[in-house]
Amino acid sequence: MSSPEHVLSRAEALRRALPSDFRDAIAQTLYAEASRIARRAVHTRGQRGRDLDQWIDQIVTGPVTGLLVMLVLLAVVVWLTVSGANVLSEALANLLFGLGDLGRSLFEQVGAPWWLTGFVWDGVYLGLAWVVSVMFPPMAIFFPVFTILEDLGYLPRVAFNLDWLFKRAGAHGKQALTMTMGLGCNAAGVVATRIIDSPRERLIAILTNNFVPCNGRFPTLIMLATVFVAAGFSGPATALIAASAVVAVVLIGVGFTLLMSWLLSRTLLRGEASAFTLELPPYRRPNILRILYTSLIDRTIFVLLRAMSTAAPAGAVIWVLGNIPFGESSLASAIAQALDGFGRLFGLDGTIILAYIIAIPANEIVVPTMMMIYTGAGRMIEAPEGAEAIRALLVGQHGWTLLTAVNLMLFSLLHNPCATTIITIYKETRSRLWAAVSVVITLGTAFLVTFVTASLARLLGLFPSGG
Amino acid sequence: MEWLIPVVLLAGLLALALRSRLAASYRAWRAQQEREQVEDALKHLLNREHQGRHASPESLSGALGLSRAQTVRLIERMEAQGLLQSRAEQLHLTPAGERWALNVLRAHRLWERYLADEARMPLAQIHAEAHRREHTLSEAEVEALEANLGYPQQDPHGDPIPDRAGEMPSRASCPLTDWPTDEPGRIVHIEDEPAVAYQQIAAAGLKLGQTVRVLERTPQRLTISDGENEYRLAPAIAANVSVSPLLPTERVFDGDALPLSKLPLHREGEVVQIDPALQGLTRRRLLDLGLTVGATVRPEMQTFVGEPRAYRVRGTLIALRKEQADHILVRPIAHY
Repeated sequence: MSSPEHVLSRAEALRRALPSDFRDAIAQTLYAEASRIARRAVHTRGQRGRDLDQWIDQIVTGPVTGLLVMLVLLAVVVWLTVSGANVLSEALANLLFGLGDLGRSLFEQVGAPWWLTGFVWDGVYLGLAWVVSVMFPPMAIFFPVFTILEDLGYLPRVAFNLDWLFKRAGAHGKQALTMTMGLGCNAAGVVATRIIDSPRERLIAILTNNFVPCNGRFPTLIMLATVFVAAGFSGPATALIAASAVVAVVLIGVGFTLLMSWLLSRTLLRGEASAFTLELPPYRRPNILRILYTSLIDRTIFVLLRAMSTAAPAGAVIWVLGNIPFGESSLASAIAQALDGFGRLFGLDGTIILAYIIAIPANEIVVPTMMMIYTGAGRMIEAPEGAEAIRALLVGQHGWTLLTAVNLMLFSLLHNPCATTIITIYKETRSRLWAAVSVVITLGTAFLVTFVTASLARLLGLFPSGG
Repeated sequence: MEWLIPVVLLAGLLALALRSRLAASYRAWRAQQEREQVEDALKHLLNREHQGRHASPESLSGALGLSRAQTVRLIERMEAQGLLQSRAEQLHLTPAGERWALNVLRAHRLWERYLADEARMPLAQIHAEAHRREHTLSEAEVEALEANLGYPQQDPHGDPIPDRAGEMPSRASCPLTDWPTDEPGRIVHIEDEPAVAYQQIAAAGLKLGQTVRVLERTPQRLTISDGENEYRLAPAIAANVSVSPLLPTERVFDGDALPLSKLPLHREGEVVQIDPALQGLTRRRLLDLGLTVGATVRPEMQTFVGEPRAYRVRGTLIALRKEQADHILVRPIAHY
């Protein structure tokens, strides 16, 4: 009888005698056995499916047609998401804010002190309701559409087409997919990097995902583009100019993603591109039930829950800052005042900086927080209706210029990930360090870029009043 | 002024806590420094013994960059620990010292394997990085690393990795400069020190596992060939490359075999070899996807920049970059 020690030492001795390529031999016999079984059990009839696949592949991966298909699909997906979400968001907001009003009047009736009513309903609840009503609809539209493209087998072709770009940046072609996912939500984009199997390239994809603006940042970008960049135009040209400005911002984001990937693969994450293997599945009819499940449960609800857990405390903080009196105005205004000099260095102002600090849980509540501080309201409020009203408030009363708007768009694109994404990065990398690095490089880039544009504008003598 | 008392007390406590923490981390740092010094000394002695020479206090102080006095102190300390004996200006490893030295060597080579295969660090950088990391692991951690890597036998330079007991598999090899002309041999070792020589060899394109033969030798240079390309090296550099006779299982591929990346579109080929130098994650992925010896592959698509290309393997379409496809040797299948 042999003892465990005996077995172990015998294994150790035998291991030495193994040829170094025994793993290859194992894989080879497994495949030989599998193909033997397949030959006996599987009968193939005809080549029609494959011919169709090859025809589609020729179009989808062709140099001109491939690019065209990609851009058209991207535009359609973004348009569907933005326009569809507008309608849904409004309905959802009406419902949730109505509930909030109900709750508040209930509190008032039972005679709760004003600060309790305010804290619960204008703080915590409003933060939650706002995040849910603005975050849920675009994700509920974007993710199913994205998953359909994924299920069809189209998305791997995008990775195939664009891999040469990512290869030059030292990254993985599948990063194209995680970036597209980032358009829906950066936290979901970070989770999606699991499809990249080499750890170095995966980290690059995680750390740079935030340079793709998510749904939550689109309304801000669209509002700024419409009110400021397209201000001098009228009629249908306005929409076109605004849309181009938003597209330009997204392209700048893609540029920064590639640039930062390149920098990272030459500094922090040095190494050779490894193990690029990409399966191009045959085109398939999507499975609707599975799509709904993965896109709504795995992606939307998962992100939404995480966002809600950070939105509630943020709502509380925002309300407290907006309601504690300090001198003639609120504590929020006072802090914004104090930060003003710092903000102007980057062509922004103190209110914008403060809004980005306290609205860190979700990009969706940055503008409402800004509006709260600007108007001195005691709770987050929406931007005024119509471009003229917004201009009157921001330009007329708070000294905004085109530079402020452009730099805010850049800052919104490049700044640190929202709390939900930071938590997700921490969970995915299991490292505080990488979560911190993701904040440092994005925030650093945002401050650097806005500082450069603001200084350039100042040097050239543009916008003397603002900035 | 009574409120000052708790503040002062608190500050005092804080200072005390901080000091003991600082002292502890300083002690830990010192211990680590000492460990590195001892282990580097052990490695130097082992290295010398493998070369058939004995280490001396002079060679040790030169290798570690220590002053005479520091070297003497180090030798005394190691003698007291029973790691070495000094006799007549010669330093000898004791059995305990040799065991420890082999363990450091083992950690170093396992780290090199890890850095090359899993972290995919450029080969020219792994020696320095492994040198830093070899002192940080406990014996149990080294074992975990070995198991994780799948018990590799050699480091990426072809040096054998000692096992837990310190045994090293050996394989007869000889430097390229002494290898008979026209005899095929497999490169089994490329010396990674000095780095200048290693970089020249790497720049020439010679790799571990390559089958080569010496075509011509003059006092100025050696001309060698792998059947496809010719390489020229100065003898002093070529002496850092060791080759060994081919095993019966290692077939020589000539003429008709070519890298998968060069197989024309829509032309079928049979995989004959996956480059032995390609290890770790990348090799595992290729095997997982069914790219095993004997499999049939056909390039079916390429992007407009020429890569990646998509290959039909076992019924599925798989895209590979040129770097991966370069490592797969195929023989075109003739169609009648």
